[in-house]
Amino acid sequence: MSKEEEFVFWLACIQGISSSKKRLLQETFGCAKAVYYIEETGRKSCWFLTEKEKAALKEHQKEAVLDERKRVWEKARKKGIKLTYWTDSAYPEKLSRIVQPPYALFGAGKECFAFEGVTAAIVGAREASAYGRQMTYEYGRELAKAGMNIISGMARGIDAAGLEGALLEGKGHCAVLGSGVDVCYPKDNQRLYQRLWEDGRILSEYPPGTPPLARNFPPRNRIISGLADVVLVMEARKRSGSLITADFALEQGKDVYALPGPVTSDLSRGCHQLIRQGAGILVSPEEFLCDLPYKLQKSLIEFCKNPVKNSNENEIMLESPEKLLYSVLSLEPKNIQEIEDQLSLPRGEIMEALLNLEMNGWIQEVSKNDYIRLK
Amino acid sequence: MVKSAVMDGLTVREVCVEADTGSGLPVFHMVGYLSSEVKEAGERVRTAIRHTRARLQPQRMVVNLSPADIRKTGASFDLPIAVALALSAGSIMDRCEKRVLFIGELSLDARIRKVRGILPIVSYARENGYEICVVPWENETEGKLVSGIEVVGAATLSEVWNFLETGERPVRKQQAAKVRDRDKSELDFADIKGQSGLKRASEVAAAGGHNILYLGPPGSGKTMAAQRLQTILPDLDARTGMEVTTIYSAAGLLDEAQPLLIRPPYREVHHTVTKAALLGGGRYPTPGELSLAHGGILFLDELSEYQRTVLDALREPLETKQVRITRKKGTYIFPADVLVAAAMNPCPCGNYPDLERCRCTPGEIHRYLGKVSQPFLDRMDICIETPKISYGELTCEKQEESSGTIRERVLRARKIQKKRYREREMLTNSRMGRKEIEEFCCLEEKEKQMIERAFERLNLTARTYYKTLKVARTIADLEGSGQIRTNHLAEAISYRMVDQTIWGNQKR
Repeated sequence: MSKEEEFVFWLACIQGISSSKKRLLQETFGCAKAVYYIEETGRKSCWFLTEKEKAALKEHQKEAVLDERKRVWEKARKKGIKLTYWTDSAYPEKLSRIVQPPYALFGAGKECFAFEGVTAAIVGAREASAYGRQMTYEYGRELAKAGMNIISGMARGIDAAGLEGALLEGKGHCAVLGSGVDVCYPKDNQRLYQRLWEDGRILSEYPPGTPPLARNFPPRNRIISGLADVVLVMEARKRSGSLITADFALEQGKDVYALPGPVTSDLSRGCHQLIRQGAGILVSPEEFLCDLPYKLQKSLIEFCKNPVKNSNENEIMLESPEKLLYSVLSLEPKNIQEIEDQLSLPRGEIMEALLNLEMNGWIQEVSKNDYIRLK
Repeated sequence: MVKSAVMDGLTVREVCVEADTGSGLPVFHMVGYLSSEVKEAGERVRTAIRHTRARLQPQRMVVNLSPADIRKTGASFDLPIAVALALSAGSIMDRCEKRVLFIGELSLDARIRKVRGILPIVSYARENGYEICVVPWENETEGKLVSGIEVVGAATLSEVWNFLETGERPVRKQQAAKVRDRDKSELDFADIKGQSGLKRASEVAAAGGHNILYLGPPGSGKTMAAQRLQTILPDLDARTGMEVTTIYSAAGLLDEAQPLLIRPPYREVHHTVTKAALLGGGRYPTPGELSLAHGGILFLDELSEYQRTVLDALREPLETKQVRITRKKGTYIFPADVLVAAAMNPCPCGNYPDLERCRCTPGEIHRYLGKVSQPFLDRMDICIETPKISYGELTCEKQEESSGTIRERVLRARKIQKKRYREREMLTNSRMGRKEIEEFCCLEEKEKQMIERAFERLNLTARTYYKTLKVARTIADLEGSGQIRTNHLAEAISYRMVDQTIWGNQKR
């Protein structure tokens, strides 16, 4: 078996032959090892390969290349990186049903290729507003609490916020990278990456060590939507990469939901466009869960240990002027200057109340002297 | 032997001018470690003397300026050389029995032109037992700022001859020494619409002498506020006023009619400024912008554009309140007790944290802030963000508070501080050291709890902690409160420096 893995790794690493053609090669010859050993006549019989691709294949059939690949794979395996491939029993079934499934899939984390239960993709813009991040964080947490697996791209902004929220509740949440699984990109998410490695899982169709190339990112979105049962777009500008994910999801017959934002917000324009095209509207995590198709509801209940519950714990009395201040704040960040203009209270008093509110967890300072409410 | 003096940095050194005329080939020699402008004095002086009743015969003439080991620079030796020559040639008799010091530049037609550094030289003369100073008449008002010595303003060389021979002082319509009028300045805080936070922070900065950083999008009033900061500062006290006037006199920047500076100066430097221009420098050091702002405000606009080395060079003078420039000949010390006001944009495009318009990535924002050295930012006590101003505020008819009203509050707070520090070498809260902070900023239980919680929650550093206490002390002084209360502390916390771990992260 491990022998075969080496040859799969070798085949996966060949550049210049597309995933679909690698799958065909594998199907034609039975296994990757056989592909390695085909001779001139065998290559000739591959009607689907162009001359250039045949040359690339021949180039890689040299023994030195294979040895090199074996070495690299051994190193990666020691790091805990796993591999599955087309026709492999561990290959996620959901993925085999999409157009252009990847030939091989690399992964890290426990049972990284098992996608049972319900998986929700949470995607959105890298440049997110405080509102978007806060809502994403909450959706991530609530959906994870309801027993869903969260999958996203681990980009800055929305993607990271969703995973961070989800990691508070349960394990098995998943990031699909556009680089090798052992490459953390963006660097800012190092901590999240570490936690996913420990408590979640990381997938990629690119061999370990692949740098984050721009052209790798759009194709990885098809894997995110492919592995998901439902796709949530939290915030997206009009021409955002998240809309690509939504398009893939629609092609693959998945439900798409979008989070509405202020109509004036540039960052929500893509979401509103999706809603106009018929995407579901995210009002609250509870409503979203009730709104799920019957099939998903059922599998959720089957896999879920802690059922959805409606909580109404937030009825704590606040003292004024904290109360007054709290009523002025919203999910849009507000600078202390704006609050001052609105309430015409002295700055010292406002700041005192803000500090009290923040220390008790009612509000959050998102940037210096910019506050949003949390509950 | 005729006495004169020369500026060396901000110190004055006495110079003796000797002249000898006698038989020999008709040549003119000048010796005594002279710069080229002093060497050229020979031509000016001889021509000028020709235009008076004094006569010089074609003789051998030697002029010596001593002591020979200090460099003689500037044009102020023309007059003493002329006097020495005329006396030595015997064409003018010296009947004045008092100790006289001469300074002035000559034109070819024997008129006397104004020179720099009159004020420090006249004070030096008084301290060293001179009784009369003969100065260019344009500098007379400046010279008369020094009491206890007679200052004679001469317009032409002939007037000097008259004075020497008959003791007759030139009579001219006198201008009384006036002080610079505050009301002449047209800047006023009432010009800034809205932005109450910005004004309040400026007030606190002025009251406690705290360095302030304005952070905001273009057009939010950062520069306007900094320019008006001067209008709410109290007048200079007598000693600082004299120091400032001395520096300006040495730099030749004084107004003839109103030489004495009593308003704190305001200096704005462009971000291309060099280290030497900012701190002072040169082979024979002259004061830089930092010293010209002594007692007042140094404004650094677009802080992120300054060369890092320039800002880093400011660090030490900001601590010690003086610039020390060391040359082979010795160390020059220029006073530099300034309030630094700085302004910069919060991110490369300037609009952060307004996400509708700002598309800078967190990395870009971090890099942008990182351009300014952290130790320099640590010396800023107050950091205020100025949000962009709305149309409503801009066109609002509401009468804004004038600088005069704000200044009165500042004055009250300064008075309290002066009383508090009467036994110490400082005037404002910003100068408090750790010892003073412990003595004057003691907190009660409630306040202690608050700062403790804030400390943990906001990840404050020890430096920020002390800065916050100092600013809180000033806020309490503005309110006339002897004890620092929670609202004072809270306001001070809102003025803390933007923290790189939170600033820019709203997008992550």
